[in-house]
Amino acid sequence: MGVFQFITGRKKPTPGEVAKERLKVVLSHDRIKVNPELLEQIKADLLTVISRRLEVDEQHVQVQMAREDHWDKLHADVPIKRQKISFEWDPPAHTPVADVLQNNKLRVDVERIEEE
Amino acid sequence: MGSRVLTITSGKGGVGKTTSTANLGTALAMQGKKVAVVDSDIGLRNLDAVLGLENRIVYDLVDVVEGQCRLRQALIKDKRLPELYLLPAAQTRDKNAINSIQMQELCQQLRQDFDFVLIDSPAGIEQGFRNAIVGADEIIIVANPEMASVRDSDRIIGLVEAAGKPEPRLVLNRLRPEMVKRGDMMEVADVIEVLGIDLLGVVPDDDMIIVAINKGEPIVYDKRSRAGRAFINAAQRIIGEEVPLDELVEAPTLLERLRRLVGFGPAMTEKRVRS
Repeated sequence: MGVFQFITGRKKPTPGEVAKERLKVVLSHDRIKVNPELLEQIKADLLTVISRRLEVDEQHVQVQMAREDHWDKLHADVPIKRQKISFEWDPPAHTPVADVLQNNKLRVDVERIEEE
Repeated sequence: MGSRVLTITSGKGGVGKTTSTANLGTALAMQGKKVAVVDSDIGLRNLDAVLGLENRIVYDLVDVVEGQCRLRQALIKDKRLPELYLLPAAQTRDKNAINSIQMQELCQQLRQDFDFVLIDSPAGIEQGFRNAIVGADEIIIVANPEMASVRDSDRIIGLVEAAGKPEPRLVLNRLRPEMVKRGDMMEVADVIEVLGIDLLGVVPDDDMIIVAINKGEPIVYDKRSRAGRAFINAAQRIIGEEVPLDELVEAPTLLERLRRLVGFGPAMTEKRVRS
């Protein structure tokens, strides 16, 4: 048992495993041609859209590329600030349920997303 | 089945394209196929030396394309195998000496006389690489199990796809089983998972390859060499035979090394790795 393993109780990844993980990240970026600036733009766009409806904890928003199950994925972690928020929403006229709703108002409750 | 044109490429230099071309070509010719190996690395000719044919060159690929000679005149017959021919690259020109259309016509011409045409591509992703793949039916990517080579291979896979070619197959070269065992090198499965293409062969790193190149004698002639055995297996897979992937995984045992040192006893490649 190495020192690292003794302290952390977890096996240190081998250089081979490190190479594989690094490659996965670098290749997903190469493949989609996503550079850090573009990711920042996407993050800013997401924030604009989401903050229109929800209060977002902007300091802890994370947007990154990942490769899982043979798919390149965009992972966005967007923590919501308040414990529980509610707001009034005007559903678009073409939504079928819109007719059913009284006064054309829908109430949406959004629970804070629990951390895993 | 008609003749097949295969291009051996890699993106990154120095991973073993020329060695792979020479050995796959030789192994296919040993199987009785009529084979032409083409050096498309214009300006950096090397396939001739790996095959030990560097003293026999009169005409080259550019001469053929420019009509200075007929194709038959430029083709050099191998020393040992009557069905193996080399079309050498020009040494005094550069990659822009020929274009894609000329290369495609050359491939068509070679198809008429050979079962297999193996094209050794230059490193890089520029005109030389494009010329090398333009006339190919199949692409073989040579990679080493390290970051830079695998990353470049991924670029090549993308470019091959963009060129409308079928998915390339991989020859993983210079694998060091003892490093993999220690966890210091990526495993075969890791590279395959990351790149997402099929495996044609795995060639263990072997000092004897340098010796073979020094002698101008492809490693497939060395019956005791694991690398040689691996190239023969890969060539059989090209033909379409089912050959189990048994060419590596374990480092040679002490006994095998001793046998090799003494130079007799059963060939060490006969030992099968139990899976």
